[in-house]
Amino acid sequence: MNRQVVHGTDAAFHSKRSRFRGRSFKEAIEFYLFISPWFIVFIVLGLIPLLYGLYLSFTNYAGFNMDRLVFVGLDNYRKVFTDNDAMYSLGRTLFFTVIMVPSTIILGFLLAVLLNQNIKRIGIYRTLFFIPSIIPVVAVGTMWRSLFVDDGIVNKMLEALGLEAVDWLGYDYAIYPLIIMLLWGVGGGILIYLAGLKGVSKDLYEAAAIDGATTIQRFVKITIPLVTPVLFFQFIMSIISSLQIFVQPILLAANSNSLLSTPLRPNYVYSVHAFQQIFAYGRFGYGLALLWVLFVMILILTIVVFTTSRFWVFYEVDQEGK
Amino acid sequence: MVNAGMKRLPFRITVYALLIALSVLFVMPLYWLVTNSLQQVGAASTFLPTGLHFINYKYALTFIDYWGYAKNSIIITAFSVIIPTVTSAFVGYGFARLRGPGKNVLFLLMLSTMMLPGIVTQIPTYVIFFKLGLVNTFWPWFFWGLGGSAFSIFLYRQFFAGFPRDLEEAARIDGCTTFRIFWNIFLPISLPVVATVSILAFNGAWGNDYITPFMFLQDNKYPLATALFSIGYVFPGQKDITMTQVQSAGLVMFVLPIIVVFFIGQRYLVEGVVASAVKG
Repeated sequence: MNRQVVHGTDAAFHSKRSRFRGRSFKEAIEFYLFISPWFIVFIVLGLIPLLYGLYLSFTNYAGFNMDRLVFVGLDNYRKVFTDNDAMYSLGRTLFFTVIMVPSTIILGFLLAVLLNQNIKRIGIYRTLFFIPSIIPVVAVGTMWRSLFVDDGIVNKMLEALGLEAVDWLGYDYAIYPLIIMLLWGVGGGILIYLAGLKGVSKDLYEAAAIDGATTIQRFVKITIPLVTPVLFFQFIMSIISSLQIFVQPILLAANSNSLLSTPLRPNYVYSVHAFQQIFAYGRFGYGLALLWVLFVMILILTIVVFTTSRFWVFYEVDQEGK
Repeated sequence: MVNAGMKRLPFRITVYALLIALSVLFVMPLYWLVTNSLQQVGAASTFLPTGLHFINYKYALTFIDYWGYAKNSIIITAFSVIIPTVTSAFVGYGFARLRGPGKNVLFLLMLSTMMLPGIVTQIPTYVIFFKLGLVNTFWPWFFWGLGGSAFSIFLYRQFFAGFPRDLEEAARIDGCTTFRIFWNIFLPISLPVVATVSILAFNGAWGNDYITPFMFLQDNKYPLATALFSIGYVFPGQKDITMTQVQSAGLVMFVLPIIVVFFIGQRYLVEGVVASAVKG
């Protein structure tokens, strides 16, 4: 009797388990089916080209010699670190990254703080601040270029103010139009910052106010720590995009009329150098090595930022358990 | 802090003064672009337009094969908006509502592809498409589209993950297949995400997809984003002198669809971007 009961339970348990297995097996198949469009395209047009490119970066591929490729080992990579132009352009890219990352984050965040001040018709200002970031970069570059040319509006303004016109697109000043142009799109982050700011509980401010905290203290001790997750997200994104800066310097180049135009030295960034090697000189293998070095740098930097994030990013314990 | 501050009048004045000054700063370049597009060809830039030379727009459309390039833009944009918007939803649903071994690893893998500089894979991809005989056709955009886009998949996944299990359990008891549940229940409620994803894809394809066409297509198949920049408006026989005013007119027409789409979908975009960033 006793035995039978146990046996019965066991059987029920087994059949339940196999039913569960059947369902979860079917679900797994369905899961793979659903993600298959992404997965197949990722393999065929993502992973394979990526590895194929890695392979080509170890060869003397020049765009036409596919059938007699020579494996050159680490030569291309060694060349990256001995190529003066590559190192110089890497320096320029790092220079712009060091300028752009903090300034886009700080200015973007301050814009959002400004918009968060109980403003009437906030939607209008938000839209006006945001619009520059949706304008296609090709249009942005061409537009700014026409503003900065010798008889452009920027020099007209300087003259109207009694100042001397400046050769903005020339060697001495070329970095300023580029920085100004990049900063013009700083409003792109305000939607995310605003969401972060709105998420800071009002109770905290009230409690702090009761304890006699000043506005600045509240900003530094409450607002900033609580929006660090958003700042972190933007930090990663802007590092990645700054290191890849490519077309903006070309668009501001003195003779800019194609993707192969070369910017002046101060704006000669790393991606431009890689692009030049490939398309102007046909050094595909070497160009791919340059790009792989950049890719690995981005990867390492992102990982470093991620691992340090636990020291400075504040994660609120989510009480809803979502 | 916020309310207390706004009660003080000098503070209020400062805030609005800053807002207006910044608005002017952000809009001014666009205003000058439009102003410049209405100036007589060869005229100097001025603060206010000295004439309304709408003829520049006609020049912009006729000096280069503007409509031809626009048509190419439309084809590329259609492939890059319609197909991935649907497939991304499909994949996003899989990641949000179905379980299978390796799901978390695959999801991380998918997210990490966002970090990959596109240009790293572009050249080998070119070689592959060249071998398939698909270079100088629009097919590559079709295939890229089929895979969806990582960011869109992420947005859908975040959205779909937010619903209770009951939603599909009830349907499943009624005998609905998983595909029907996705198609008839989840897709219709995800319209805000569909809108967000479409707008982002539209901006990317219409405005910022210029390198790939430069590599994969020949001049006459360039979309506007590539053509306006690399072909441009030059004086006949003097290929270094650009007709800035005509070029500006061409740019205004090129940018206009982006701005129109942005205004139509702004509401969704704000919600969509915000939801993804804050939850993520």
